This record gives sequence, structure tokens and C-alpha cells, in this order.
Amino acid sequence: MNVGLLSLLVLLAVLLGLAVRRGLAAGPVLQRFAEQFVKLVPRMLCALVAAGFIAELIPKQTISGYLGDSAGLAALPVAAVTGVLIPAGPVIVFAIAAVFAKSGASTGALVAFITSWSVFAAHRIMIYELPLLGASFLRLRLVSVLVLPFLAGSLAMLAGLVTMFGTAVPLD
Amino acid sequence: MPPLDFLHDPDWRRAVLQDGFGKGFWLFLAVAVLTGALCLILKGPDVFAAALLRDGGLLLDLMPRVTVALAIAALIWFLLPRERVSRLVGTQSGLRGLVIATLAGMVTPGGPASAYALLGVLAASGADRGALVTYITAWALLGLQRVLVWDVPFMGPDFAALRILVCLPLPLVAGLIARRLPLTLTLKDEAVPPQTGRGA
Repeated sequence: MNVGLLSLLVLLAVLLGLAVRRGLAAGPVLQRFAEQFVKLVPRMLCALVAAGFIAELIPKQTISGYLGDSAGLAALPVAAVTGVLIPAGPVIVFAIAAVFAKSGASTGALVAFITSWSVFAAHRIMIYELPLLGASFLRLRLVSVLVLPFLAGSLAMLAGLVTMFGTAVPLD
Repeated sequence: MPPLDFLHDPDWRRAVLQDGFGKGFWLFLAVAVLTGALCLILKGPDVFAAALLRDGGLLLDLMPRVTVALAIAALIWFLLPRERVSRLVGTQSGLRGLVIATLAGMVTPGGPASAYALLGVLAASGADRGALVTYITAWALLGLQRVLVWDVPFMGPDFAALRILVCLPLPLVAGLIARRLPLTLTLKDEAVPPQTGRGA
């Protein structure tokens, strides 16, 4: 039992209590649950399997060569594009980030990479965003967050000019 | 009305199955098969099997969380006081609405299943477009659960702190940009859910 599931179960118990106290009818709630479950889970299963394969196919060592301090600002676009290309959850992405960190990626590049993946993660768009919110929201959001990986990476690089704090200590 | 009556409605069943196994599903399946074949050819059967095995483990870990998250979202869909939400993060909420959306995104537990389902509820409750973008960006960048479970163990606490610090203002930036963009927004699920109060 992990932290994530535990906190979700606590929240569910609180909401169930609230629903019972308010006399909420069970039918519509169950119906909405079933609709969303069938809408999301089959896609999720396929996406998960695809993500596992894509993580194996991405040339991690080649990319990390472009993320070091010597690459300077050029590391930011490389990191941002790599973040877009990885359609996988945090398990895989943070494992890849640790590989980058071990092969000498700069702190700014790592921040840009994680930021880019956080806001663009392609699998989340396909599995959740398009079915639940639709294409027009996706367009609005993508344009709104386009600059964020570069902002985050540049801010981290600026911070690196005045302090060494923030250097990654990657997991072995 | 027995609570599971909707299961016997053939129209409902057909519509739901179409939703779940529509074009998107087949596209995903095709990508999974294609990348699997590529992996098998380029990296050999050992890497292929290891990837599949890891996926299986992830799945076992994920399914209970997704199920609980969707149950939470279904309850919130009916429980959330919509007028109050639109007052807090509606079009008139200003910068304060974006700050509230940032905080809400940071504390939303669970993975994308709960965050996106909640985003859908917020959209249907009249939250402003800036607040919607800010909320989901804050969840993605600053979600506390994610920082504790992933950032800290994988990259170390110093890096996690620096990343949080530089990302702190970014959801507000994204929300402000979203409010100014001349794009039209048409949302799914705009219908307000049927009243299912006491005695229904």
C-alpha cells in the first residue's frame, strides 16, 4: 500500500460519508463512474505498454551528450523536446532523468526536461485530456504552457550562476 | 429506482462501449503493437520481455489507484457546490482565482485520473479558462505527492527544492497567458448533472 493509494482512499471515505449524509442517490454516481472507467481504462492499458517500449527505444546516452554544461543554452531546447517525446508516467521519466544526471546533464537542462514532460506528457493528453476536456481546451493549454520549460530552465541556470544549491544527487 | 438499472439500458451500453473502444483505443493499440515490434527487432527478446514484465508490475500498481480516483471524481461531480466554485475561480476571480487554482492543483492527490477528472468537473462548474490551465499546470509541475514520491528519491532534496522554487510562479504565468489568448474554448461535459438530492 503506497502513499498515493492511501491518500486517495482517505479522500474517498470522506466523500462517501458526505454523500450518505446528503442522501445522494447511488445510481447516477455509479453510472458516471462506469462511463468514465470504460472511457479511460482500455486506452490506459495500451498506452502503458507502448510507453514501456518507447522508453527502451529512446537513445538516452546520445541525448545526454547534448545536456551538459558545455552545451549552455542549447541544452534547453534539446531537453524540452526530449520531455515532449516521452509518453510515459513518472516511473520511467524520473529513471531517465537520473540517467541524464549521472551522465553530466546541467541542472538547468534537467529542470527544463522535467518541466517539459510535466506539462506536455503525450500519454496524458491522449488518455485523459482529449476524452475528458476536448481538443479546444488542449489547444488553449498547449499554447499557454509553451514557454514554461524554457522559463524554468533559464531560471534554474540563472540560479546556478549565484549558488551551487540544487545540484541533483541521482538515485543509483 | 435500483441503482444499477442503467446497466440494462442497451443504448447506454452501446454508447459507452463506443466511447471506450472507439478510434482512440485502436490508435493506442496500434502504437503499442508497433513499438513492441520495433523493440523486439532492435533490442532483442530479453529487453522486450523485461519491458513487458515492468509494464505488468506498473499495471498492478496503477489499477487500484485509477479505480479509486474515478470513484472520487464521480462523487465530486455530484457533491461539488457549483455556484461557490464559479465564485472562487470563475471569470471574475482575477489573480486570486489563479492563486486558489494553484494551491488546489498542488494538493490534489493521486495521478492524472483524479486530476483530469476534477478538471472536467471544474470546467463544467463555470471555472474560468485561466484557472483551468493554472490548476492542471500546478498539479503537473508542483503536485506535492509527486514531489515527495518522485523528485526527492530520484534526484535528491536539493534539486527537488530548486525545481519547485523556479516552477512556483509558472502556473500563474500559464493562466495569465490563457486568459489573454484569442482562442475559442468549447468544452465537453458542459451539461450540469441532474439534481439528485435528498429522496431521489
